[in-house]
Amino acid sequence: MSRTVLTVVLTTLALASLAQAQFNPSGTTTLSVNVGSDAAIQINTSNTTMATSGGAFSSDYTGQTSFIYKIRTSYSGGTGSITLRVTSDFNAGGPSVATPPTAGDALTYSCTVNSPGTGCSGTLTALMSAATSVATFGSNAKSTKAGNTGSTSWTLTNDPLYSTGTYTATVTYTISAA
Amino acid sequence: MLRWRRRTRPRPWWLLVALFGMAALGPSSGATGSATQGLTAVIYPAAKLSVPASVGMTAASGKFSSFQASLPISYRVRSTAMGGGNIAVQVTSDFSPTGGPSAGAGAGALMYSCASASLGTPCAGTQVAAPNSQTPVLAIPAGACTGGGGACSPLDPNSVTINFTLSDDPGYATGSYSAQLTFVISST
Repeated sequence: MSRTVLTVVLTTLALASLAQAQFNPSGTTTLSVNVGSDAAIQINTSNTTMATSGGAFSSDYTGQTSFIYKIRTSYSGGTGSITLRVTSDFNAGGPSVATPPTAGDALTYSCTVNSPGTGCSGTLTALMSAATSVATFGSNAKSTKAGNTGSTSWTLTNDPLYSTGTYTATVTYTISAA
Repeated sequence: MLRWRRRTRPRPWWLLVALFGMAALGPSSGATGSATQGLTAVIYPAAKLSVPASVGMTAASGKFSSFQASLPISYRVRSTAMGGGNIAVQVTSDFSPTGGPSAGAGAGALMYSCASASLGTPCAGTQVAAPNSQTPVLAIPAGACTGGGGACSPLDPNSVTINFTLSDDPGYATGSYSAQLTFVISST
């Protein structure tokens, strides 16, 4: 019994001495980092003014919102996206995303997104009920350190039923990466 | 017939010492004497350090902000009255595999600052760790010594902390990367 105790004590002391820091004229350490998928977006046009040109009701209201995005998707099987959603409708009396005064009135947009993103195809209608696509990303998509640029070009129906005034809606952009 | 006999009462050790001592003295002369022996200790400057075998960097708050890590260094040092010393670091193996960060990428991909030195002066400002040269961590003054009290540092070992920052470039492919850093201490 006493021999067993002595063995345990000696082993513990030996391990303790090994665990102590080793002092030498030089030492090395391994610095490790795990880089995961990530994404961020910055909207440069905080207020996008939409205007019409040409004759009365001959053209719709248009405007453009620009943004910068940073993204890194997984090397294998990664995906990413930028979407937008109208989170606050125009105030009453004017245009409306949720309940337009005339069927067919809409807030639509097209996308321009620099690589590695792929901009949305064609013209899409912005909704309050769901997010809609602005850009998609595939595996190992990597933006520059400063970020890459993109924009959405807006078109809002110019309906005579709108009362005169200034109307504001809020659109929220979301970027994600996996 | 030869028979081995087991000795059950060994002679006391002090008796053996006394016998040998008397033999060394030889015949008694009835006189006493004394002698002196000079002892000289030459204390050379010396320095050693210890660093953790590995340290993981973690992402700071915020998207693509940076990766950070703190690395404590323990050291023991003795420098001469006219000397001094230093601790330096060098990236001896860049991040691998490829596709991720690189200490040699320029623009300070791997930066560090030094803090909380218990003996000496930590590096000033922000330094860039480089694969092709040593960069400063700590300056050790003349007449420095670890532990022992008095004019020496009361702490044993002494310590200094390095805070690493690695930029989180979206251009890095996802994955795990590691680099090897070598710390060197010297004193004169």
